[in-house]
Amino acid sequence: MNGGYPAGPLARSIAWATVLYLLLPITIVIPVSVTDQRYLSLPEHGISFRHYANLLGSESWLASIQQSFWIALGSTLIAVTAGTLCAIGCWRIGRRSTELVRALMLLPLIIPAIVYAIGLYRWFGTLDLLDRFLGVTLAHGVTGIPYVVITVSTALAAFDPRLEQAARGMGASLGQTLRWVILPRIAPGIASGAIFAFIHSWDELVLVLFIASRNVFTLPRKIWDGINENLDPSMAAVAVLLIVFTVALLALDGALRARRQ
Amino acid sequence: MSAPVAHALELRGLSKRYGSFIAVDAVSLRVDRGQFLTLLGPSGSGKTTILMAIAGFVAPSEGAVLLDGADITGLSPERRDFGMVFQGYALFPHMTVAENVAFPLRVRGLSRADRDARVRGALDLVQLAAFAGRRPSQLSGGQQQRVALARALVFDPALLLLDEPLSALDKKLRAELQDELKALHRRVGRTFVNVTHDQEEALSLSDQVAILNHGRLVQMGAPEALYERPRTRFVADFLGKSNFLQGTVREVGATGMALQAGATRLVQAGAAHPAPGRPALLSLRPEKIGLLAGAETAENEVAGTIASWAYLGAGYSLSVRTADLGEIRVALPAWRAPIAPREGLPVRLGWAADAAVPVLEDADAA
Ligand SMILES: Nc1ncnc2c1ncn2[C@@H]1O[C@H](COP(=O)(O)OP(=O)(O)OP(=O)(O)O)[C@@H](O)[C@H]1O
Ligand SMILES: [Mg+2]
Repeated sequence: MNGGYPAGPLARSIAWATVLYLLLPITIVIPVSVTDQRYLSLPEHGISFRHYANLLGSESWLASIQQSFWIALGSTLIAVTAGTLCAIGCWRIGRRSTELVRALMLLPLIIPAIVYAIGLYRWFGTLDLLDRFLGVTLAHGVTGIPYVVITVSTALAAFDPRLEQAARGMGASLGQTLRWVILPRIAPGIASGAIFAFIHSWDELVLVLFIASRNVFTLPRKIWDGINENLDPSMAAVAVLLIVFTVALLALDGALRARRQ
Repeated sequence: MSAPVAHALELRGLSKRYGSFIAVDAVSLRVDRGQFLTLLGPSGSGKTTILMAIAGFVAPSEGAVLLDGADITGLSPERRDFGMVFQGYALFPHMTVAENVAFPLRVRGLSRADRDARVRGALDLVQLAAFAGRRPSQLSGGQQQRVALARALVFDPALLLLDEPLSALDKKLRAELQDELKALHRRVGRTFVNVTHDQEEALSLSDQVAILNHGRLVQMGAPEALYERPRTRFVADFLGKSNFLQGTVREVGATGMALQAGATRLVQAGAAHPAPGRPALLSLRPEKIGLLAGAETAENEVAGTIASWAYLGAGYSLSVRTADLGEIRVALPAWRAPIAPREGLPVRLGWAADAAVPVLEDADAA
């Protein structure tokens, strides 16, 4: 921005220190992933990509990646559908009471995941959903709803209500108005919500630890077990791939937001 | 746009309350087929609320909306088939001009070929055919306004509702579009209901003007009738400029009355008058007052001095201070003006007995 006060040296140093503090732990996995050693360490004699090769050749890693992907996709679908409908409903009704509904929908964000996980564990036991693909997808889908509600509500707040009136005034039914006017306008918000819901499921561990054991073995779960049981540098390679994937999704989100302007 | 079927619209005792606040208070009016009605009033007088009640977006607290005699008060907006131009246009930003105009046709399930033909026709009507592929954000305010008009007209609605369609435009463009709107109204032969707080727009466009204040219909009539024969001080003041002369009735005759204001005696033509001894209020338009030269006389005369003046191009606006009638505003044509205005100049004002009109104080009119 022009016209603002220039940052002083102290402010600058603190800012950079914060950036480093946030980024260093993430970046450390990059050199570790190309180590030439057989255990988690920094490269000693040179760099090697064999851990990546290992990873991509390993049946169990690929299976985990695949499983995580499908669970994330399924739960994103649930979160987007439920979250979008909820946000639009609250927006249309527009009464005080809908604030309460919205607050309720944000609960999964507020309640500690571990508390939620204990509750789910009990319920899923009786519903026979433990250690099943469907159970994990449902759990991730429900906990992903807040992200969608937030982004879609934000998009709707910027939506000119006269556009809806205009559409109805020209004879459009509720469905037509939704399909042709409201959804296209809030699509970027839905996309953002979908990306966040996907990432949420993609790196979720606590719930999975509670409600899955053998059949469902997501990527974070596999990394967790790997860290505890052996110190295979493949883990660092996985981490790097995860980072690349997440950054790509966030970049996509940024691009979508930029297009909305 | 052939076979013009225009609708007659009627409001019967329409009221809208928000809690204890009365936004619209028992408004009854009628627009005949093919007429251009303007709702005119200051901000907050209930114009938009009435229009929204006609469109079906606001449910009246009391009263009814009738279309060709049929009660449509309970009909939902999407089933009323009215064209509407919203304040600020409400064009769909994610659609092109052509897609915007095609929207009402798409809703009605017309085939693509039919749609294209009618969209082209509507865009031709507002002279925007060359802009069909643009987005609303790439158009000027006046062009957006015309797109909104085309979109409201394309499905051939029997009734067109316009909420301050020209308010966002600069003066010159507004004048141009006023002419266009008027020509359009004549061409399509539909019933138009327009909302504005611009009195010039109301006068120049409408067949009928309904003047609103505090949610009430104060007076309705043809523009000339309203301007020449305002019923209340509010109408006279809101529509154009006016001087208000306060006096006491002295004599009443068959063709007029005599008033006394201090030492000044006024004669006023007209038949219906208050009884002698009662106070009376006259509205006198600045352009109906002349400057009297030398021995010239008029039915009403008053002397004063110029307190202030302004040059407006076509004329001067003088404010003349008088002993008995306060400050009187006079519109003086600038071309071959009989005097060169300056402050403190003594002048004599004169006007005919039928120049002013008696009006009611607003409190008495209620
Ligand atoms: N939803 C509402 N709740 C409460 N009061 C309202 C509501 N809508 C309108 N009003 C009030 O009703 C009155 C009339 O409003 P309306 O919008 O009809 O005025 P208007 O004549 O169109 O004014 P403007 O020229 O400023 O557009 C205003 O005092 C407004 O505050
Ligand atoms: Mg208004």
